[in-house]
Formats: sequence, structure tokens, C-alpha cells
Amino acid sequence: MTADTVTETTASGGGTLRPGSRRGAFGRVWREGRPFLWRRRGAVARLGAWSLVEFTQTFLTGFGVAQALDRGFLAGRPGVGLAWLALAAVAALPAAVTSRALFSRLADLVEPLRDGLVRRASAGALHEALTRPERAHTGAVSRTSHQSEIARDGWAGLVMALRSCVFAGAGALVGLAVLAPPLLLVVLPPLVAGWVLFAATLAPMAARQHAYLEADERLAAYAGALAGGLRDVAATGGGERLAGEYTALTRAQCDAARALARWSAVRVLALALCGRVPPLALLAATPWLLGTGMTPGALVGALTYLTVSLAPAVQALMTALGTAGGRLLVVLDRFTGRVPELPPARAASADAGADPAEPGATSADAGATSVAAVPRRPGAGVRAEGAPGHAPCGVELTGVSFAYGPGARPVLDGLDLTVRPGEHLAVLGPSGTGKSTLATLLAGDLSPGGGLVRWRPGEAGAGARPGPPAGTVLLPQHPYVFTGPLRDNLRYLRPSAPDAELARALAVLGLEPLLRRLGGLDSLVEPARLSMGERQLLVAARALVTPSPLLVMDEATSHVDPVAEHRVETALAAHAGTLVVVAHRPSSARRADRVLLLDGPRVECGPPSLLARTSSLYRELTGAPPPAV
Amino acid sequence: MSGEPRRKDRRAEQEERAAQERRAEGGDGAPPDERRGLLAALLRRRPWPAAGVLLCGAGAALAALALPAALGVTVDRLLSGGAVPWQWIALCAALTLTEVALDAAVALLGGVNSARLTRWLRERALAGVLRTEPHRAAAFTPGDLTTRLTATTTAAADAPVAAASTVCAVLLPVGGLVGILLTDVWTALALLAGIPPLILLLRVFTRDTTAATADYQRAQATVATRLSEAVDGAATVRAAGTARYEHARVTAPLAELDVHGRRTWRVYGHAVGLSSVLLPVLTALVLAVGGLRLAAGALSVGELVAVSRYATLAVGVGAVTGALGSLARSRAAGARLGPVLTLPPFTHRGAAPPPGGPGTLELRGVAVVREGVHVLRDVRLTVPAGSSLAVVGRSGAGKSTLAAVAGRLLDPDAGDVRLDGVRLADVDPVVLRSEIGYAFGRPALFGPTVADAIAFGTRRPDPGEVRDAAHAAAADPFVRLLPHGYDTPLEDAPMSGGERQRLGLARAFAHPGRLLILDDATSGLDTATERRVQRALDRHSTRRTRLIVAHRVATAARADRVAWLEDGAVRAVGPHTRLWRDPEYRAVFHGESVPEQSGVPAVEDRTEAAR
Repeated sequence: MTADTVTETTASGGGTLRPGSRRGAFGRVWREGRPFLWRRRGAVARLGAWSLVEFTQTFLTGFGVAQALDRGFLAGRPGVGLAWLALAAVAALPAAVTSRALFSRLADLVEPLRDGLVRRASAGALHEALTRPERAHTGAVSRTSHQSEIARDGWAGLVMALRSCVFAGAGALVGLAVLAPPLLLVVLPPLVAGWVLFAATLAPMAARQHAYLEADERLAAYAGALAGGLRDVAATGGGERLAGEYTALTRAQCDAARALARWSAVRVLALALCGRVPPLALLAATPWLLGTGMTPGALVGALTYLTVSLAPAVQALMTALGTAGGRLLVVLDRFTGRVPELPPARAASADAGADPAEPGATSADAGATSVAAVPRRPGAGVRAEGAPGHAPCGVELTGVSFAYGPGARPVLDGLDLTVRPGEHLAVLGPSGTGKSTLATLLAGDLSPGGGLVRWRPGEAGAGARPGPPAGTVLLPQHPYVFTGPLRDNLRYLRPSAPDAELARALAVLGLEPLLRRLGGLDSLVEPARLSMGERQLLVAARALVTPSPLLVMDEATSHVDPVAEHRVETALAAHAGTLVVVAHRPSSARRADRVLLLDGPRVECGPPSLLARTSSLYRELTGAPPPAV
Repeated sequence: MSGEPRRKDRRAEQEERAAQERRAEGGDGAPPDERRGLLAALLRRRPWPAAGVLLCGAGAALAALALPAALGVTVDRLLSGGAVPWQWIALCAALTLTEVALDAAVALLGGVNSARLTRWLRERALAGVLRTEPHRAAAFTPGDLTTRLTATTTAAADAPVAAASTVCAVLLPVGGLVGILLTDVWTALALLAGIPPLILLLRVFTRDTTAATADYQRAQATVATRLSEAVDGAATVRAAGTARYEHARVTAPLAELDVHGRRTWRVYGHAVGLSSVLLPVLTALVLAVGGLRLAAGALSVGELVAVSRYATLAVGVGAVTGALGSLARSRAAGARLGPVLTLPPFTHRGAAPPPGGPGTLELRGVAVVREGVHVLRDVRLTVPAGSSLAVVGRSGAGKSTLAAVAGRLLDPDAGDVRLDGVRLADVDPVVLRSEIGYAFGRPALFGPTVADAIAFGTRRPDPGEVRDAAHAAAADPFVRLLPHGYDTPLEDAPMSGGERQRLGLARAFAHPGRLLILDDATSGLDTATERRVQRALDRHSTRRTRLIVAHRVATAARADRVAWLEDGAVRAVGPHTRLWRDPEYRAVFHGESVPEQSGVPAVEDRTEAAR
């Protein structure tokens, strides 16, 4: 629940937001809530200290009335009576000033909770997006932030109600004891009985609340899916079926709401036992109390305590516990558990001119003994030599397989491939033949299910290593541009890139008009205001300012027009060490040194000119209709 | 063939009348009195629980108002030192018990009533949404519609209980004032003098908090935006190893959020401080005047107790404003729900095209007008049974609208559409949907698993048919790559735009009828895969008539004939080879002939990027 633990916990896997069984929810929340409160014991103490004002004020309400009557109005001295009432009124005045301080101390307890929840939620959402992209929805993101607000409000309400009940209650009970100690004997039994009854309803009530919220969320999720696909519902004629399922969900939700209503009726009874029975008990006991020497003023004062102070405070706390409390528990429980650890930063790319030392080279040597030397094509290294400061890196795949799940057919099966250092390889194939998977494997972003992927930096004969070299860049098809300064967006892969290089990259890619439109490197970029093509070009510029021994582009120019795509690929081919392009258009293949054709079990590889002669699949994929290209 | 539909018409009219009667009985249709507000409709739907809440609430309020007077008498009797006034104590107990029991009844009755009405409203709202033309429901964004179907209905269904509670809530302060006036006029005057500042304070309070929360919500939105962007760009974040950097960037505005959050608490504390002073001071004022009257012998101790209780009830205006607030929220929710509940339903006459018909599609003088603009004008087309017609044209030419009209996803504003001679507007919806299949560029898929998503429709095909359809749509290879193949839950299936398209195609193939309409349904497939699908389509449905909205030259070239749309009108119809001689026809494909491998073609993107 805390900000501090987010980065400290060493855990992985498992999402943070689980549907959570209600059983043990309190235990889980308490386990993490206790250290949170313990660290903030100072804030709790200060909150208590400021609440003493409320204690005094409550004490004087009843005591003042009693004294005003006994010593003033009933004793024929109205002046004294007025003085006591004035004292009670004056005791209320500090609250005008102190309640601001009180709420500031409340903020000390509430704001850190919200911060911690937001940190956890965003770590969880990021982790989920990284590990299970198919489950990452921005809708879940907004739901999460909404829940942290529910927790903030619920927690604040609970703290204030609890605090008020404790201090007003203490003021009233001390007042009763001072007025006439036997009053406590009369008042306490129903008060305790009421709390016992309430406590008994708390667990079932929380369970109903949990069921209600879950039913609500299921319904909202279903309605959301439905609302997003009405055209398809109408076109398929599946409306009846969806309406049936929706009705079942509304029915479940209605049942949960009715169960909740029944329990809130029980809560009214518990509340009555605490708030309404004590005055009756007082009346019934009055003849006896008067006999023990209680004054008329004390009777009126006691009635004031019970009706004006105690009953509202108890009601506020019970309401807070019964409604906001249940909701808070459900919401907090979703944030409990181990916070997933986000993957650490990759070794940053070496800046231009720096020595591209490879720290992992020695340990990798042992595993590389069986690897045959890579035949190096003359000419492949020429371009690499033109890009200073980062030696190109080759990749070897031996018998690589990958499947997306236990029941899945492998998308890549026993693939052997050698990407030579410094070459420009294009990957071509029909949809779903594993092109993106291959790109991710080449960049070291995914580990193969079977076989070996090894990276071989620099010259032939250099040691192969089990991890991708520092500065390996993968440009996915979806361009990530974030709301922030243009400069930060461009320096995303290399934070130290100087402005001159950024400007040059923009110029090379023909992005100067965009730069002018935005208003310079300091201007704010809002992705929603850029077209997908512009975003892909910005991302390409990002790669152009980052020295990279291995650059993998996964259809990263799919939204860019053919002319601009040509410009991007040429610039990046000249810039990067080794370039692998998952081709979106046939023209990308024609620009490459070699082309890898993927089509399920069929794999072909060779220079484009050769494949054009020998491969029918290649001709089908590239020679197909478009006369315009 | 002309006699057949007329006979259907007669039967359809009977059915229509029967349906109208059903609607009138069940209150299921759009009620005629929607303008009079939802509250009336809700009260008519469940009158007794609302009346019960009103009666119980009023009873509880009356008991609460009688209690101080009884309490006063009891205290006086007790202090007089005479016999213990058991009957008065019993009266106090009875009044308390009544109030508590009635309060519990209000909680139960009210809660159950609102829950049932919520369910009723939700089902009615959804029925309305599903019954209408999709484009009318599309006037609401999916997020907005979701809210209206869930949170809005809950709030709206609360209206009867909120109205009853408001009436009861008004009883208490008014009754309190009456009670204090009846007991002692001078104390009543003291109370009335204190009330204006109270009202003033409530106004100050509302003004202050809104100003403070605006900043808070802005900072909050920044966090949410950054997180959504980072989640959206997860592939880059993972590849660049910047997850921790992103986490820091997303949570950076927390510092600002903290500042604004603390300010909201201070402002709130200020308002609470003022009210927490005002109430005790007001009570003290009433007690002071009452005390002086007591000293003067004009008031007894018991009456003083009663006065102070009545004063507390009288200043309990908060309950009234609270009740009024929730009533206002309910009514606002009702107003938001109105447009959903009054969506006009699709009409039909229960007709069906002749059984075994070949599937001839005719569009006769079809026009569609949106906001004064002719999206389609006087479209006259005939697609002979079993043939395929490609619809081409620049973006905005009306291709998708034509596809929607051809299968009655949209009613034309003029002209009519006929399938085997029967007007689509007359055909029973279930028959209509089993005879006409659709596949879209961005299909929405329904069902727990991939197999369910393909099987979704009027009829549930068996697993073999599902696989065959997936095969024909070139979806089988990638489905078998999923973690659990066809049984993979949809939400666990990582799918690209092109893969979703193929599931959408498979869904259409799994429900063969007379007519298949493909609206940009193969745009996300590479050319090789598209060709495979087309071949399967030609084989698979030799008897099916096809209408294909096409962007690619190759797709148009394969169709039997091409309809070339321009500005909503048919410019030419004929075989692709003949049209191809026209350079303007060729220009339609300029910039669109590039294979798109994912999602929807982003023509605007490309032209913009090229600038």
C-alpha cells in the first residue's frame, strides 16, 4: 500500500489486480495496512492531538447545560446560567480554526495512501502490458485510477468518522461520569450491545457489498463489450442471445442489491440500539438516579450527551463502516499482494564515439564453442564501417521454436538463421507466419521455447553471447509517442543525444515541416494530434539518433507513404550496424541484401534477385497486383 | 412471386397488432408519455413499494416529531417527584420503536424497490438499443452508452425512493420549527435569527470545493493519460527496457496531485470548521433564551429539553438538501436515459423471402441523407443471384453506407432494397439476419472463446462447421497457434487487426445465407492471404450473392462486376477490365493499392505523412 515498497519488493509474475475472494480480504489488507499506519504513527498522533478540541467541546456541551441549569436558571441566577452556556459556545469556537489543521493532518494519512495505490496500479498495469499484451486495455487503466479515488475518499471518510466517534464518544462518556457516575451503568449496556450487533453484521455485510460490487463490475464489463459492438450484434442477429446473458447479469446484480438492502435494515436496528435505546434507559432509570443524588441539570445534560453528541457520532461511524468501509476493503484488497517488479533498464546504448565494450563476452564464450564460424559476405561490413562507434552485431538462430501456449501449434518451428553482422535483411511472409515473433526473438525481447539465439558482435570469429548487445533497438509496428516535449520523445532511446543530432535526424527524414508546425524541440507533442505516419517517422528519428549495433524494424513504417518509407529505410540502413526489416511492402524486400521468406514450414532465404527467379511465394508476395508501386 | 409477399403482409399485420397489444400490457415498448418524465413511469411500474416508502418514512418522521414533546412531559413528571410516569416512559419507548422499525422498513423497501427498478430499466434500455438501427445507437459513444446502461440506470431507478425520502425529509425541519413554535415563541425567534447565516454558509461551501477539485482532477488526468499512453506503447517500452523510467514518468505528477489534494482537504476543513461552530452556537443561543424563560417561570425543564430537541430537528436542513440532491441526480439520470429508452425500433411485417431463393439483390432509387448531406443518392443496382459485385470509390463516396443499406443495418431515406423481390423492410429480423451475412474491417467479437466468437449469430453452428469456416477465412492456422486453440478465451488471444478480421470473416462464413456483404473485410490481410480467402469464398458459397466493398485493385478485378461510387451516386457499373480503361477509375485506387497488413487502411495518415 505504500510508495516505498513498490520498487523494493522482489517479486514477479501475477497481476496486482485480482478478483480476490472475500474471505481473508480483511487479513490481507490489514497485513499491509499495519506497517503503513505504523510508519505514519506521528500523523496519527497529531490527528489525535487536534481532535482533543472536539473532546473538550463535547464535554462542555452536556456539562455546560447541566451547570447552567443547576447553578443558574434553576437557582434563580440567570447570569450564571448564561455564563455557562456562553462557555459551552466559546468552547466550540476553536473548531473553526482547528478543523483546517485537522484536515491537513488527515491529508498526511490519505494522500500517501492514494500515492501508493497509484504507484502500485501503474506498476501493475505496465507489468501486465509488458507480459500479457493481449490483456492490456486502456479501459482497465482508467478503472484502476478510478478505484484509487474510491479508496482515497473511503479511507478519509472512515478516518474522520472513527476519530469523531472516539473523541466525541470519550467526551460524552467522561461528561456522564462527571455528572453522575451511575449514569454509565445505565448507558453503557445498550451501547455495547449495539456495537456487538453491528460487529456481527459487519462480516456478512462486507460479503454482500463484495458480491454487489463484483456483480456491478461484471455487468459494466459486459455492457461495455456490447456497447462497442452494436453494429456487429445487429448484423449477426445475435442480439437475443446477448440480451439473455445481459438479463442474467442484471438479475444477479439485482439479487445482490436486495441482499444488501436486507442487511442495511439490520444495520438500522444496530444503530438504534446504540443511539436510541440509551435515552430510554436513562428515563427508566431516572427515579433511581434522582434517588442517588443526581440533579435535574445532570439529567438534561445527560440527555444532551446521548442525543446531540453520541448518537450522531455512532451513526456516522456505523454508516461509514457499513457502506464506505465495505467498498474500501474490496478496493484495497485488489491492491494487496506482491507488486510486480518491472524489468530493469537495459544497458543503455553507448554514445557515438564511446568504446563498445561487451561486458558479457567472456561468459558467453563457453556456450559458443559448437557454433560454426559465420561466413562473412564481402561488402556487408562496408556500410557498418560508415557508421562509427558501434560495431554491427550478427545473430544466429539454431533450431529455434516458439509457441504462444501449451495447446498452441508453434509459430516458429526449428528455424535456423544467420544474420550476418552489418547486413540488411528483410523478412517477408503472409500474415501470422511468425514475422513479429522472429523480430522479438532477434531483439532478445523474448526467449525461444526451444533452440538457441546467440548474438555475435563485430568481426567473424568473435565470441557469441547469450544476450543481445547493448543498444539493440526494436521498432514495433505501433509507434510509441508520448505526451511530452518533442526533445524527450526523440531522445527516448538515448537521453544524452545532442540537439544538433536531433535536428539532423529530423532533416534526414523530411520532418522539418512537422518541427516547424509543432514549434521547436521544446514544444509539447500530443500523440493524438499526430497521424500514425507522423508518429512512425518520429520513432524512426529516435532510432536515427541512437547508435545501434542491431536494429530490428517490425513493420515500423506501415503507415508511412512509400517515398518516406524509402527515405527511412535508406537512412537507417546507413546508420545502424545490422538492420532487420519485417517488410510491410514488397519494395522493402527489394532494398535488402537478403530476404527471408516465412510461410509456416516453408522457409526460404536469399538475395531478392535470386528469390525473384526461384520462389513462387516470393513472386506472389511481391509481384502481386499493385501497379502503382 | 408477387402474391407471396402480399400474403405474408396480411399475416405480418396481424402479428404487428398482437405485438402492439403485448407492448401495451407489458409496458415493454417505448411509453408514449416519456416527456412527462421517467419518475411517472417508474411509479406506475411499481406503485406500492414507493407508497410504502412514503408512508413508512412519513410515519417515522411523525414519530420522531412526537418524541420530544413526550420526552418533555416525561422529564417534568420525573422531576416533579411524584409517581414514576411509566405510561409516559412507555410512550417514549413506543415512539422510538415505531421510528426505528419504520426506518428499517424504509431501508428494506427502498433498497429492494430501487434494485428491481434498476433491473427493469437496464433490460428496457438494452432492449431499446438492440432493437433500433445501429447507427442511431452509435450516436452515443460506447463508453457513454456503457455508463447509461449501468450507473445511470441505478441513479435513475432511485427516483421514486428519492422523491418519497425528500417529502419525509422536509417533514422533520418543518415539524421541528412547528414544535418549537408551539412550545415557546421566544426560543423559536432566537432560532430563526440564526438560520440565515447557516444557509449562507452552505453556499460558501459549495463554491469553494468545486474550485479546489478542478486542479486535482487535472493532475489526476495527467497521470491517467501518461499511463494509458505507456500501456498503449508497451511493445516499445518492453523493447527499450524503459519500464522503470515509464513508471517514474507516469507517477511524476503525484507530487502535484499531492499539493492539490492537500488543498482540497484544507478547503473542506475550512467549511466543516465553520459549520461545526455554527450549530453549537445556535444551540447555545436557543438554550440561553430557553434558560431565561425557565428562570422567569415561563418554561419547565421538560419543555426546555423538548425545545432543544426541536431546535436540532429544525436545523437539520442538511438531510433535506441531501435528499433533494439525490432526487436531482435521479432526475438528471432519468433525463440522460430518456434518449436511450426512446430509440425508435426497427419495424417489420414478418415477411420472409421465398424459400430456396437464389439471392438476387436489388437497390431501387436508394437515398440516404445525413445532416442535410446526401450520403447516397438515387442508387439503382441489381446484383444477380450468385454473382459478386465490388463497390469501389474514394473515401467518403458512400461505400460503407451502401453496404449498410444493402443488408438493412440502415433504412434508406428514400427508395427500397429487395432480396429476391421482398422488401428488406418487411422481413422478420431473425430471417433477415440468417439470410444476410456481414463481415467488417474492424469486427467486434462476442463469446467467451474463439470458437464461440465464430459461432456467434442467429443459429449456433457445430464445431465442424466452425472449423470449416475458420479454414475458409484463413483463420485456422493462426487460431491453432493460440494457447488453447479454438478454446482460447477471447481476452487471452493476442490478435492483430488482420487476425480479428479473419475471425469476423469466419463468423460470416459459419452462417451461410443468400447474401454476403464484406465491408472492407479483407483490408488487414496481405495480398497472398486475401487471395486464399477469395478463392475459398468463390468455392465455399457458389450459391451466395456477394457485395464487396473493396479498396484494392485486385479485389475489384476478381469480382464479376464493379459499382463505382462517386459522391454517393453510382458513376458506372461494369466489369473491372472495362472500367479500368478510364483513367479516373484508375485514380480511385491511387495510393490505396499498397497491401495493408494490419488494421484499417490509414489513407489519411499516408497522405498527411507525405506532405
